[in-house]
Amino acid sequence: MDAGPAQQRWELENGVQDVSNPDTYWKYDNAEQQAIQNQKPWAKDPHHFKSVRVSALALLKMAMHAKSGGNLEIMGLLQGKIMGDTFIVIDAFALPVEGTETRVNAQAEAYEYMIDFAETNKHAGRLENMVGWYHSHPGYGCWLSGIDVSTQSIQQQYQDPFLAIVVDPHRTIAAGKVEIGAFRTYPEGYSPPNEPASEYQTIPLSKIEDFGVHAKHYYSLDVTFFKSSMDEHLLGLLWNKYWVNTLSSSPLVNTRDLTSGQISDIAEKLEAVEGQMAQSGRMGRYPGAGFERRGRGGGGNAGDQQLHKIGVDAAKLATEQIKGISSQVVKDLLFNHRLLPQRQAPTLVQGPSDMESN
Amino acid sequence: MPPAKVEARQSASGLDFKLHPLVVINISDHLLRIKANGLDRAQGSERVLGCLLGQQNGRVVDISNSFEIRYSMGSNGIEIDEAFLVKKQEQYKQTFASLDIVGWYATGKMLTNAEMAIHRKMSEHNESPVFLQLDPVFNPAQKDLPISLYESELHSMENVPSFVFVQANFSIETSEAERIGVNQVAKVLPSGKASGIEQLSAHMTSVHAALKMLQGRIQLVTAHLDRMARGTIPFDHALVRQISSTLQRFPAVETSQFQDDYLKDHNDALLTILLSSWINCTSAANEMVEKFNMAYDRSSRRKQMP
Repeated sequence: MDAGPAQQRWELENGVQDVSNPDTYWKYDNAEQQAIQNQKPWAKDPHHFKSVRVSALALLKMAMHAKSGGNLEIMGLLQGKIMGDTFIVIDAFALPVEGTETRVNAQAEAYEYMIDFAETNKHAGRLENMVGWYHSHPGYGCWLSGIDVSTQSIQQQYQDPFLAIVVDPHRTIAAGKVEIGAFRTYPEGYSPPNEPASEYQTIPLSKIEDFGVHAKHYYSLDVTFFKSSMDEHLLGLLWNKYWVNTLSSSPLVNTRDLTSGQISDIAEKLEAVEGQMAQSGRMGRYPGAGFERRGRGGGGNAGDQQLHKIGVDAAKLATEQIKGISSQVVKDLLFNHRLLPQRQAPTLVQGPSDMESN
Repeated sequence: MPPAKVEARQSASGLDFKLHPLVVINISDHLLRIKANGLDRAQGSERVLGCLLGQQNGRVVDISNSFEIRYSMGSNGIEIDEAFLVKKQEQYKQTFASLDIVGWYATGKMLTNAEMAIHRKMSEHNESPVFLQLDPVFNPAQKDLPISLYESELHSMENVPSFVFVQANFSIETSEAERIGVNQVAKVLPSGKASGIEQLSAHMTSVHAALKMLQGRIQLVTAHLDRMARGTIPFDHALVRQISSTLQRFPAVETSQFQDDYLKDHNDALLTILLSSWINCTSAANEMVEKFNMAYDRSSRRKQMP
């Protein structure tokens, strides 16, 4: 038993060292992975895995695939390996499955495709195993629905170690960063210790029930990204070519649907809270038994909390709007304003007037 | 050469290639994987080969994805595993139905007959494939991507028609999701959990970086013009005409319609922000009232109770 934690620590420390040179992630040692597979450290501790490292390639592929699905959910598989308590996701590939709201589920033909694809991958020098799956939640945040939980727990029973990643393409565009979450379910009958409440995220009213019921059945893992030295070099050079895209993009126009959806969602939630508050408010006026029972634990405070949550939602929306409007304003100033060379002294505006005169 | 190939050449000229960053990262991953796992010895060379997937729309070719090809070093040089290629193509067809093979990639520096032989082979999958070459040996002084795109053209050399590679122009194109992804990994935000303010400052930083880049480019142009005006370098009429026509396009949109829409959009956004701060104010006020009530109720009841 002593060797376990020591080894884990060693692996962890090694993992930390490896951050300085992520290229080593690409080296796949079958024997080592088999050894980990045989040890099954995750079988003893439901909380064994704590973090996920996703390669630049996998992140790009997932984000693009999720976006291409539009309002439909898409799914795919993750390839990678295990390092201590960390999943290393090297690559991802898409599956020919499309679903509607929270109903993504791999069917028989998808399994066939999966095996076929994995087989050809081995031939092409991709030695990594399947370590998980990803799917998209267009517009309603990164969490696991009831069906996702059952899919994931089946996979964890038969194909552990297995990881679930959720990407939200719509919010990705709105937030200007890839909205991604990684999850593992708890085994059946396991009740999680009182963990600190995970970071609050906006979930539409229509999905909140589905979220609430299953929220205790899984936990989320810390997601970080890595890139190889070559990726870094190429990405650096790439920036020289594509900085134009940063200016030409317009997040405000692209996310109009999502924004109006979020506003109406906030309106609905506000209405719901209003009803609740009016009720608890009336009770509050009579300091009887009703208030004692509900006032502190239930009604009033729950209403407050919900109002606070709506505040968080609204603040997030506002941040996105500020971002959008600021780039619009910058662009307008840059490209849409006539320079007034007559009124301004040429010495003041050296750069632009130079251009004009030439 | 069959005459059909000549026709293909004509339609291929003047194509505009748009390269997605994913392809670049994909090739980099492929190369690294082969190297890290020592598979270069198995296939007899550390060069990697693959297919480029994309879409052709009129004269624009969008290269958005890629997959690797297996090959072995045979007696006649590189031999591609044809069955593998076809199978892979079918698999990608199932997930990304709109993507076709538009060309192939390889790492290397020189154009040799070996490349031409593969290029001919790839012509079986696409009438006029494009060839992307990535130079895996990085030169730190280099400012441009170590990538070149080639098309093949049929030229008559000493009355013998033969194919030659001609360099093709390409630009980097990103979809919205891809741009965000690249931005994120290029800077590698420590995790995906940046809060509102961090997000905002990250956004502002990226806009700032882009503006700086723009300024740099403009300065380059003005410096060049300056030197031309002083006569230290020859006067390039075509270039000056180009610059002048670019400048004529400013302001970019100057119609009352646009001004109205822009103002509306701006106001909508401001309204949303106002709405959000109202909600937060209400929430704070409500909390205050609740606390006040609690305190007031307690004290009033204590007076009754004793």
